[in-house]
Amino acid sequence: MKIPVDLATKIEEAISHYPASKRSASLPLLHLWQGHFGFVSDEAINWIAAKLELTPINILELVTFYPMFRRRPIGRRHIRVCRTLSCQLAGSYDLKERISKAAGIDLEKWAQDQHDGHGDAVAVSPDGRYSIEFVECLASCGTAPVAMVDDLLKETVKVDEASALLKLRESDATTPRVRKPHPREKRLVFKNIDRRGWTSDLDCYLKDGGYKDLKKALKMKPEDIVEEVKKSGLRGRGGAGFPCGVKWGFIKRGGPKPTYLICNADESEPGTFKDRYIIHQDPHQLLEGMIISCYAVGANLAYIYIRGEFPEGAQILEVALAEARAKGFLGANILKSGFNLEIYVHRGAGAYICGEETGLIESLEGKRAYPRIKPPYFPAVLGLYQCPTIVNNVETLCDIKHIIALGGGAEYAKLGKPNNTGTRILCVSGDVQKPGYYEVEVGSITLGELIQDVCGGLKPGRQLKAVIPGGSSAKVLRAGDKYKLKDREIALEDIPMYFDMLAACGSMAGSAGVIIMDDTRDMVEALNNINEFYAHESCGQCTPCREGSLWMKKITDRILAGGGVERDPDILKGVADNIAGKTICAFGEACAWPTQSFVTKFREEFASKASKPLPPPMPPEYNPDELIEKETIEVLHDARTGSPLAPAALK
Amino acid sequence: MSAEAPPAVQMLNVQIDGTWMQFPKGTRVIEACAQAQKFIPRYCYHPKLSSPGNCRMCMVELGMPKMTPDRKPVLGPDGKPELNWIPRPQISCAQDVSEGMGIRTDSPMVQECRKGVMEFLLINHPLDCPICDQAGECRLQEFSVEYGDSGSRFLEHKVKKPKNVELGPRVTLDAERCILCSRCIRFMQEIANDDVLGFIDRGSFSTIACHPDRKLDSNYSLNTVDICPVGALTSTDFRFKMRVWFLKETKSIDVNCGTGCNITIGSRGNVIYRITPRENNEVNSVWLPDSHRLNFKYLFRGDRLTMPTVKAEPVEWRTAIAIAAELFKAQPAAAMALVASGRMTNEELFLAKRLVATLGITKFDIVPRKGESDGLLISEDRNPNTNGARLLGLTGTRPGAKLKKIAEGVDTGEIKCVITFGEDLMRAGVIEAGPPRATIVAMDILPNRTTTHAAVVLPASGWAEKRGSMINVKGRLQRLNQAVTAPGQARDDWEILRDLIQAVSGSNGIAGIEDVFKAMAAEVPEFADLSLSKIGDLGLPVLSMKERKDKAAEVQVG
Repeated sequence: MKIPVDLATKIEEAISHYPASKRSASLPLLHLWQGHFGFVSDEAINWIAAKLELTPINILELVTFYPMFRRRPIGRRHIRVCRTLSCQLAGSYDLKERISKAAGIDLEKWAQDQHDGHGDAVAVSPDGRYSIEFVECLASCGTAPVAMVDDLLKETVKVDEASALLKLRESDATTPRVRKPHPREKRLVFKNIDRRGWTSDLDCYLKDGGYKDLKKALKMKPEDIVEEVKKSGLRGRGGAGFPCGVKWGFIKRGGPKPTYLICNADESEPGTFKDRYIIHQDPHQLLEGMIISCYAVGANLAYIYIRGEFPEGAQILEVALAEARAKGFLGANILKSGFNLEIYVHRGAGAYICGEETGLIESLEGKRAYPRIKPPYFPAVLGLYQCPTIVNNVETLCDIKHIIALGGGAEYAKLGKPNNTGTRILCVSGDVQKPGYYEVEVGSITLGELIQDVCGGLKPGRQLKAVIPGGSSAKVLRAGDKYKLKDREIALEDIPMYFDMLAACGSMAGSAGVIIMDDTRDMVEALNNINEFYAHESCGQCTPCREGSLWMKKITDRILAGGGVERDPDILKGVADNIAGKTICAFGEACAWPTQSFVTKFREEFASKASKPLPPPMPPEYNPDELIEKETIEVLHDARTGSPLAPAALK
Repeated sequence: MSAEAPPAVQMLNVQIDGTWMQFPKGTRVIEACAQAQKFIPRYCYHPKLSSPGNCRMCMVELGMPKMTPDRKPVLGPDGKPELNWIPRPQISCAQDVSEGMGIRTDSPMVQECRKGVMEFLLINHPLDCPICDQAGECRLQEFSVEYGDSGSRFLEHKVKKPKNVELGPRVTLDAERCILCSRCIRFMQEIANDDVLGFIDRGSFSTIACHPDRKLDSNYSLNTVDICPVGALTSTDFRFKMRVWFLKETKSIDVNCGTGCNITIGSRGNVIYRITPRENNEVNSVWLPDSHRLNFKYLFRGDRLTMPTVKAEPVEWRTAIAIAAELFKAQPAAAMALVASGRMTNEELFLAKRLVATLGITKFDIVPRKGESDGLLISEDRNPNTNGARLLGLTGTRPGAKLKKIAEGVDTGEIKCVITFGEDLMRAGVIEAGPPRATIVAMDILPNRTTTHAAVVLPASGWAEKRGSMINVKGRLQRLNQAVTAPGQARDDWEILRDLIQAVSGSNGIAGIEDVFKAMAAEVPEFADLSLSKIGDLGLPVLSMKERKDKAAEVQVG
């Protein structure tokens, strides 16, 4: 197999980024190959396996796990339409139909080829010009519905723009905008986002005082920086909210193994869209925060794991890294401090589970993103290549820079509330007039103020129905509910948006992806959309999540198709209860909490849709198509013995 | 060899279901519970492989000692640590016991966990029990009865996967039955050193697969069938042949090479249906090479020798023995040779040596079999009992060294009578093609070029048809047991030998196989105080390290 020279050069370059293990170059090589040849052929799998001294099954495992890789050629222009909740609420299903029509793609024909979900979800036009697929959350929910055409992003796609989309030439992800922050905002990390005259290059950053905090930090002792981070009370901004200083404190210095730091730029939690803007518009802030963090924890090699659906973001980061290297902010003996650091960009390929820190580590090692069991695989002890590793979210790493900039942890802790310090970027999407991102001091705003004052309220004539406060994994909150706290009761609108308070109200602050739903929205449909997300993204490693996530989706599918039976709400809740707390990673809770909370809080909606009486279970199993078609399920009796039979037995 | 006391292992206090016990540091929680007679159900955990913790069936309730601010355990009135019970269940297969740990193996929380996991495993599992080979030894069946629920609340379509995949020449995969425990993948990576299996697709659609350009053709592929907890991986050879609950299980030893892997013979009536490995951590762990596992079919060939013959005519046993004895007595000892086999049991070798002594034969040896070791379980010595032959004096430091001289003797006519026990003289190079120059008396189980030319043919028993002992290359004495009976009029080798000795020398009073061993134990110091039953199911080391090393060194030098 003859590889063109420029591709071969890029391949060697990619392999050189992973001195500890060639296997880590699996995903980069697959991206390079697909980028050049359009798809990953069988030959490619063998070639890449041989190149990295692996067996072909090692590569085939990856190609079938990560949906961005295609095993056959697709359209010359490929359209990805986001399917997940916020975009669905904004009409992305209808949009996909229209785009397909405009492109001449017969979606029904392709649906028949699906083979129970194993099959390829990409539908191709007969003339080969276009192909289209649904993808999960593209992290741009504030501008829903969104679609990608090849590597370009189009925001707020209107239904009559469907054909124009096919000819898209410019990307909204890299088109500069100017917007003034809302008066209630406190822009720290997002200071430069949508700022007049701001560009993502190093010169602009330096002119604004960039990298002087790095200089400050390099004059401190690494242990002292860790202390400042502990004092700051900074909690992880990726969703778990784990205290950053505590996490860094787990690293034992001076051991024989190298320490690694990984930036988790795999923003995929539905409803969340903040890291995208930092990466695309202010990459040097992230780099500065990362370099300071690496210095503090003692890492000399770091990776930015960026989701595959941010191809432009990856490019922007590569450029920024080159600029930083050229100016001596990266590489050997940074600013004559004696500290060496190299940072590489590593692109993911379409798996939400790579946002889980140990799943990310497995993916970076070149394997399927199966999260690891803890104990014993705590990343601070046995992380990347079984070495101590710190994984931090993009926003968290930027906050590190600001801790130094503000003058230390105590200064940072003055912002926000005790135990919930600093600022947070709230991402609001759904049924509000002005969805978007808003950086506020933590706890400085209530949900009601967020919706009404900042986001311009709901659409005229609508009432609030439900709020998901922290990304789709967070438990839904019902409008009109009251929450019992230690000393008082508060209404939904009065909940201040911070970790401890949202937890006390039975949900979580999570990734701060706030999804608002008004009274025109069907809760069963909303849950079904979320269930489909988790069923698609489950890695499949452990029993409860693998089987349960798809089961819950099938139940809500059947309910929406008219086949809901009386006991379905209880079955849904029972299945979710059997998943949460029993899995290897928090994905179990993430897929179970939506079902538990929607079914509990909106019981009457589920009960009215799932109302067919069903006789007690008896062999053989029920046929779900019968449940959908028939009004009542008859109980038949065997002519000879009189014992009960289900209709499926007669087929 | 000086015996140094091993370093003291720290013992840790662990509470299991309310009782405080002690376990060595480094004991897995799941193993500690097993030692306390509390079996924890599991699918993906296997003591010989790494622990991925993905089936979630082995979850238990764990408690850790309450600590004072200065990290000392708070002690209760019984002097033992007070425990904080962790609200979330924990898997027991990936964690070791720690000091003061508490384990609840059967609390309501644990029961609920197991029910939940069983339900999840069964919702997409096909209703294949009536046609699935694993029935009767299937963990899904067992744990479903013990820990699961009887009803099903699954009303959806099941996930469909390929059902009859030829994963390799000897392994058939039914992907729908697979519970994705990854034991087979880990085995191929960690033990068989042939990374060919993996998962494809994602989530509930994950499927076990081999890359299309490769096959699961390793010589250890059938071990994946052993360790598969369900009927996903099945032995193509055994598929649909027999229900496992009908199989009589006989413990025996593999005789295809000197490793002496411990095996279990599964037979019904007088037919062997399958052979599976038996655990012996001193020999083969729990593994067995495919080539050895499947090599039993020849015992059931239609052309097994079933009748004693003289000059190709069937005769009665008495006649055959008498004529053989005549032939022996007709020659001076110098004109006789004996070709014994490294595949004979110790008892047979002992009696063969007696025959040799009685007749005064000086020209005797065994036929060596050498091959390449595979670095795992296949020894380069393809005879299972070379050490026994050496110990009992039927071969010297270099097995087969005397065969050349015997061949020459036959050629020149010096040797007029060759006795062979279980070896083809032509293959051993002792005789050439065509009518033999010497008279042959052959004891064997299948016809070959020697038996066709033999004056007397005595049909004997195959390895699964006899009880006896052998010594493997590491000097371990192990026992074979009888699973099936020899066909037709074929008899036990040791009885044939006893009768030959009796016919040649007069009576010698050996009535049973145990008596043979007793007589052997009286003469061979390595067997002193032993009996066939004392050998036990796992065998005993009888040759010391030094003796084994010396003998091994001799082989290299000689």
